[in-house]
Amino acid sequence: MHIYLPIAEMSANVWIFLGMGWAVGFLSGLFGVGGGFLMTPLLIFSGIPPAVAVGTGGAQVVASSVAGALAQYRRNNVDVKMGVVLLSGGLFGGIIGVQIVRILRAAGQFDLFVALSYVLFLGVIGGLMLIESANAMRQARAGKALSMRQSGQHGWVHHLPLKMRFHRSKLYISAIPPLMIGAFVGFMAAIMGVGGGFILVPAMIYLLRMPTSVVVGTSLFQIVFVTATTTVMHATSNHSVDIVLAVLLISSGVIGAQAGAIAGAKLRGEQLRFLLAALVLLVCIRIGWDLVVTPTELFSLDRLGLH
Amino acid sequence: MRPSLSRIIATIALLGFCAPHATAELWLTGGTGRQNAANETVPPPARPLPTPHNDGLPPEKVEADVSAHNIEVTAGFTGREIVVFGTVDYSRQPTPESGYYDIVVIVEGPPVAVIARSKSNVGGLWINTGAMLFDAVPSFYAVSTTRPLEEIADAKLLKEHSIGFDYVRMRPRQGRVPTFTPEDLKAYREAVVRIKQRDFLYPRQDFGVGFIGRSLFRTSMKLPANVPISALQANVYLFRDGALLSTVTAPVKLERRGIEAYIHRFATRHSFLYGVLTVMLAIGAGLAASTIFRRS
Repeated sequence: MHIYLPIAEMSANVWIFLGMGWAVGFLSGLFGVGGGFLMTPLLIFSGIPPAVAVGTGGAQVVASSVAGALAQYRRNNVDVKMGVVLLSGGLFGGIIGVQIVRILRAAGQFDLFVALSYVLFLGVIGGLMLIESANAMRQARAGKALSMRQSGQHGWVHHLPLKMRFHRSKLYISAIPPLMIGAFVGFMAAIMGVGGGFILVPAMIYLLRMPTSVVVGTSLFQIVFVTATTTVMHATSNHSVDIVLAVLLISSGVIGAQAGAIAGAKLRGEQLRFLLAALVLLVCIRIGWDLVVTPTELFSLDRLGLH
Repeated sequence: MRPSLSRIIATIALLGFCAPHATAELWLTGGTGRQNAANETVPPPARPLPTPHNDGLPPEKVEADVSAHNIEVTAGFTGREIVVFGTVDYSRQPTPESGYYDIVVIVEGPPVAVIARSKSNVGGLWINTGAMLFDAVPSFYAVSTTRPLEEIADAKLLKEHSIGFDYVRMRPRQGRVPTFTPEDLKAYREAVVRIKQRDFLYPRQDFGVGFIGRSLFRTSMKLPANVPISALQANVYLFRDGALLSTVTAPVKLERRGIEAYIHRFATRHSFLYGVLTVMLAIGAGLAASTIFRRS
């Protein structure tokens, strides 16, 4: 069964995109991530024009994250104040990101920059997470409990001015690090077409030293707002949001996300992190492969007028 | 005296009859006007001149049309087959199989600006290092012929009329891009054709056109699902012995209809509302799913 996508201007097999939405939804429910880092490359691999993939992938991330964010909020696991600080940084980073996209696109280096960003971030974060979760699993087997948060450690982060009290996170730190992290995540979100959860979660745990209990909720809170904003921005400035494609991905994605959340409850935290790390590294290798291996077609075409 | 006078009158009548068609062609082909002038030009010396007819009939003329002038792009659009058909007026060919005439049918989309980029290996990574900007490349270019183009006419004539993938009109922008050699231009041109062919936008049928009678011919052509939604035109060229005898053009228009047209209009005219609606839809779906699953 095929349906014509009005913005992508191509005919798409309904079942392929329903399946894709379900699979990404399942993984995002399982790991508590938005899934943008999977959805955008998958859409591009399946022939959707990259601009439309970036613009539409965000809508699916909104759908699969909103339920999770609300559930976390009800359980009081969202540090709204921290979220707002991160978001205001994110807005700034997003505006810069959109400008950088324009410059890189004109220079013909946008694809390279995106691929390198994916390889770098997915590689580093996936690698660190893999090592950390493998250690945690080994220690869990040995019967030792590992605390993620080593309290009492005060790095350079704590000597900056503009201190703010984040009650929910039990932190009294400068607003500069969260603002910078937020700006960086917003910048990457604009460029890579992702919510930025996979950068935000480790940054909150390891740099801001927020308690793990509020990390997932605050990250989801931030993802919902960032992706909702970028979706509207892409729709207004680039006309690159395909609502038909979005409906296909969302309708199966939200069901997949619920199924993933149920499956996730049966796994231990470190096992989940290990699996997510392996998945992140797979995506990283797949994208890196294309950069290194001699392409079958050395030429590519770019239409003028988009962006 | 009498027969020559009647011939003059017939010629005047014929010219008068042709004039509106000629202007129509001029308009549709963007005012190049070369197709019409070609009827009088001397064929290239590489091939022998086609033997002139001494049978008193007027010269051959091609007429053609397309099976559908308006193609509706709806939610179920997966591409569309069109038939380009026509006749050769005053055909001298003895049988449909004789191969006396050659027909070239080109269905062309409006020109668009394209940047072609080339990669090379820089420190182990494949990076875009070269680029050529073309101001006008046909968005769609389907060629169907009675036999391979190289056999129908020689390069000079094909080049003069921009017929075929080797001679399709592509205007590189001068000045802005660093100066390029003819070899560079050739490599980029070939890359554009190769990539467009891979994407089904430059299809080629070497024996696609067939004669059904002494003068009636047809070809069916597939417009793929990713065909540009725009005004296309079918250009039909009549050849004999390597000379271009006559050309004609017929329009084909693709239009969005139904929900496709509505969504596209909404997305372009009220883009902010459209974006907000998409986000609301996403939020609604996410909340609905979580409510349903919590109850069950």
